[in-house]
Amino acid sequence: MIKNFFKLIANEFKLMLKGSVFSFVLFCLLIIACSIFSLSLRNESMGMNAPLSFLYIMIFFISLFKVEKIYSLDFDEAKLQQYILSPFSLEIIVFVKNMMIYLNLIIFFVIFSPLILIILNIDLSYLIQINILLSLSLLSIIFIASMTASITISKNNKLSLTSILTLPLFVPILIFSMAITDVIDFNTNKMYLFFVAYFLLNLAFSPLLTSFALKKLSV
Amino acid sequence: MIEVNNLSFARGNILIYKDINFKISPGELLLVSGANGVGKTTLLSNIVNFTEPLEGNITYHGTSIDNHIASECFLYIGENNFAYDTLTLNQNIDYWLSVHNVNFDKSIKNKSVNFLFQELNLDKKFYQLSFGQKKKLQLLLLILVNKPVWILDDPYSGLDTRSITKINTLFKKKLENKGIIIVASHQKINLRNYKTLQLT
Repeated sequence: MIKNFFKLIANEFKLMLKGSVFSFVLFCLLIIACSIFSLSLRNESMGMNAPLSFLYIMIFFISLFKVEKIYSLDFDEAKLQQYILSPFSLEIIVFVKNMMIYLNLIIFFVIFSPLILIILNIDLSYLIQINILLSLSLLSIIFIASMTASITISKNNKLSLTSILTLPLFVPILIFSMAITDVIDFNTNKMYLFFVAYFLLNLAFSPLLTSFALKKLSV
Repeated sequence: MIEVNNLSFARGNILIYKDINFKISPGELLLVSGANGVGKTTLLSNIVNFTEPLEGNITYHGTSIDNHIASECFLYIGENNFAYDTLTLNQNIDYWLSVHNVNFDKSIKNKSVNFLFQELNLDKKFYQLSFGQKKKLQLLLLILVNKPVWILDDPYSGLDTRSITKINTLFKKKLENKGIIIVASHQKINLRNYKTLQLT
């Protein structure tokens, strides 16, 4: 079973690589959006808060799009039926898929981040801090987005509206992300611990709720 | 043995079927037939525990079917394809066998593929396959995943007569090994003895 679990992870990794084109397109759009943002505010002195807030909001939307796309493709009815009958529980499959989406996005962010920071006129000395903080917050964003996606892809259109209920869960991440921009120095800033704690909280209930919603609403 | 007692199912306010009763013992095949929309696929979904019935119960060897029993004992092949378009045939086989926790010998895998597909390039992308070939990939799980109960929704659709004969051979072997097969189909099955459930 463990051997096949690692095989499943390897196969999911292959699938993730195949789906990288969509991530690439999303990050190209992010660069365009950042360029427009920087150009439109070129005469204003913004400091770091506004560009970082913009970056966080854009990454938030990219994550939502990516998770939604992967879930609608990977959890269509026929695939979901096989996952449900798999000896691996659906929660584990959801967890593996979420981690692969995370890995995919974070790899792209690490590659694109120097360019994004230059475009947004943020000091490159903050590159590592921003990467670490974003990679921590992205974990929670992906797991909450998976709950949203599992409801929105349901066959029942009336119920898909209830995915709005998960949106408040993103608010703490965005609030703390903005607060972090005030104290960007990673050595004195302990706010990243919030992201770790929030991720652990999400890890406890998100795969359960996601797989429950998939089973009940999509089969 | 699978036993279905007084099974009813409703979707919203619409009653799909009422008071379905049947028993299937090891070594038996049940053909579920009926017009479009009478609930053949829904009945199979009920048996595999994808959906819960309105009334009645379904047992496997005397125990109510839950997710654990379904994943341990049932192999379900639905009418829609579950493979990934972006993966090759080979990658799809590897992927779905790992999902079903199957360790296989490469030679067994190749023999099974040859049995169903004859000469076929396994490095072809799934979307490049014909409808019948896509269906055969699903049915390949029948050979490679060893579970006592097969539940198949329209397994013959898109298959040529030669492939249908091969599938019937698989059915015969499964029944000889005391497996249980439930098939929902409009076609009759070319086997000597099987039970039929006509839904109206």
